[in-house]
Amino acid sequence: MTISITALSVIVIIATLVASLTPILLIALFIRDWKKGCLW
Amino acid sequence: MTGLDDPILPTSIAWGLLAAFSVLWVVLGWWLGRRNKTAEDHMLAGRNVGLALATATAMATWVTANTTMTAPQLALQLGVWGMLGYSLGALGLILFAPLARRIRELMPEGFTSGDFIRLRYGKFTWRVFLVVSLIYAFGWLVSMAMAGGVLINALAGIDYRVGMTVILTVCVLYTLLGGLRAVIGTDFIQTVIIIAGAAFIAWLTIDKVGFEAIHFNLMEERPELLNLLFPAAIMFLFNNLLFGVGEIFHSNVWWSRAFAFGRNVGFRAYLFGGLLWLPIPIVAGFIALATPALGLNVPAADMVGPLVAAEVLGLTGAIVVFIVVFAALASSLDSLLAATSDLVTRDIYRGHIRPQASEQHQFHATKVIVVLLGLVTWLAASYRGELPIVGSLAELLYFTGAFVASAIWPIVAGLYWQRANPQGAAWSMILGSGIGLASYFLIGFYVAALVGAAVSLAVMVLSTWLMPRPFDWGRLARPDGEVAA
Repeated sequence: MTISITALSVIVIIATLVASLTPILLIALFIRDWKKGCLW
Repeated sequence: MTGLDDPILPTSIAWGLLAAFSVLWVVLGWWLGRRNKTAEDHMLAGRNVGLALATATAMATWVTANTTMTAPQLALQLGVWGMLGYSLGALGLILFAPLARRIRELMPEGFTSGDFIRLRYGKFTWRVFLVVSLIYAFGWLVSMAMAGGVLINALAGIDYRVGMTVILTVCVLYTLLGGLRAVIGTDFIQTVIIIAGAAFIAWLTIDKVGFEAIHFNLMEERPELLNLLFPAAIMFLFNNLLFGVGEIFHSNVWWSRAFAFGRNVGFRAYLFGGLLWLPIPIVAGFIALATPALGLNVPAADMVGPLVAAEVLGLTGAIVVFIVVFAALASSLDSLLAATSDLVTRDIYRGHIRPQASEQHQFHATKVIVVLLGLVTWLAASYRGELPIVGSLAELLYFTGAFVASAIWPIVAGLYWQRANPQGAAWSMILGSGIGLASYFLIGFYVAALVGAAVSLAVMVLSTWLMPRPFDWGRLARPDGEVAA
C-alpha cells in the first residue's frame, strides 16, 4: 500500500504552513507577556 | 554530487557563523543570569516563567539535533512512517501537560525529578531512578555533541573534534553564566530561528524539486519508503511514541521546567509546545525523500538533511541549515547541561555526598558540575564510532529507549496512584530496562522502548495489585523531608 502524491503533498504542506506560522505566534505571545509584565 | 570530501560551506563562513552565534549566546546567557544569587535562581529561574518563554523553551528543547538531523535520517531509512513516527514524539509534550500541573500542585517547592522519586518511593527506587535518568541524560548529551561535530564536518569540512569542542564549550559557558534563565531566554530566540529556517528549507525544496519528481523517483528507486505497511517502520512509530513519552516523563529537563513555570502556565505551555512541535519532524524529515530525485550520494545516513539542503539551495541552504542545527543543538545541550547538573547537585552531591550543603554551596557546586559534565561528554563524543554501541545518532539515541520507557509507569503511578508500590516501581525500571536492552540487541533499535514500557507496566501493575502501599500526598510538599530507606 503506497502513499499517493496527493496525500504526501497534503501532509507536508499542512506541516510546513503550521511551522511557518509558529514563529509569528510565539513573537505575538512574547509581546503580550512583555506588555503584561509577566515574561518571568 | 555532495559528500564528505566536498564541503558545501567555505570554512571562513563557517567560522564566522560559529563565532557570531557563540558570542551572541554567551553574552545573552551572562546578561540574563546576571541577577542570579541563589541556587534556586540559577536552577529554576525564579519559578515564575510566563507562557511565551515557557512554550518556546518546551519546543526548543524538544527540537534537538536529533530532530533536525535524525528526522531526515529516519525518513531516508523508514520512509513516510519515519518522519510521521518521529512527529509523534510531540505526544510526549502534550501528555506531560497535565503532569506538569500536578507536579506543581503537589510539589510547589520541588527542585528535581529525583526529589519526587525519593519522597514518593524511598531511597532504593530513587537510586535506581538516578541510574536510569543519568544513563539517558548522558546518552542524549553525547548524541548532541556528536551531532555538532558531524554537522560542522559535513558542511564546512572542519575537523569533527574541533567543531564538537566549539559547540560544547559555548553551551557549557553560557549555561554556567546564566543557569536556567539563560537557557530559557536563549531558547526563545533559538526556537524562532529553528522553525523559520526549517520551514524556509522545506518551501524551497517543494518549489525546486516538487512532489511529482520526489514521488516518481522514490517509486523507481526506493518504493519501500512510500509503503504504508512497512513493518519495521510501523514498529518504529509505536516505539518512538513510547520513547518520547518516556524521555519527557522521567527527565529532569522537563521536571525542572514544571517547577520553574509560573502557576497555571505549565499545562498550557506543554500543550501548545506539543501541538506546535508536531509538524517539525515532517518539515525537517521530508527533504530527505528528495534524495533519489536529486541523484544525491549520501555518505552517512545522519548527514542527509544538511546535504540535501545544501544541494537544493546551494550556499544559502548550507548557511541556513548550519544556523538552524547550531541553534537546535545549543537549545537542547544547554537544557540538558542545566537539568543534569541540577540533578547531580541535588540528588548525588547533596543527597549522597554532602547532605548539609548550604544554598550557597549548592550554587557553586552546580557550576562545577556543569563544567565536569561538559568534559565527560567531550571525552565520550571524541570517540564517535570507536565505541561498540555508538554507530550513528539514531542508534545511540534509541539505545537509551529501554531505560526511559521503563520509567513511564513508575512516574505516572507515583503522581496519580495513591497505592503504588515503591519496590514495584524500582523493579519495573530494572526489569523494563534490562529486557528492553536485550530486545535492542536481539531484535532491533526500533523495539527497545516498546518492550521496556510493556515490561515496566506489567511489573508496576502486578506489584501494586498484589502489595498496595498507601501514600500521604502531603509529604511531597516538603522536598527536604526525610523518607524511609
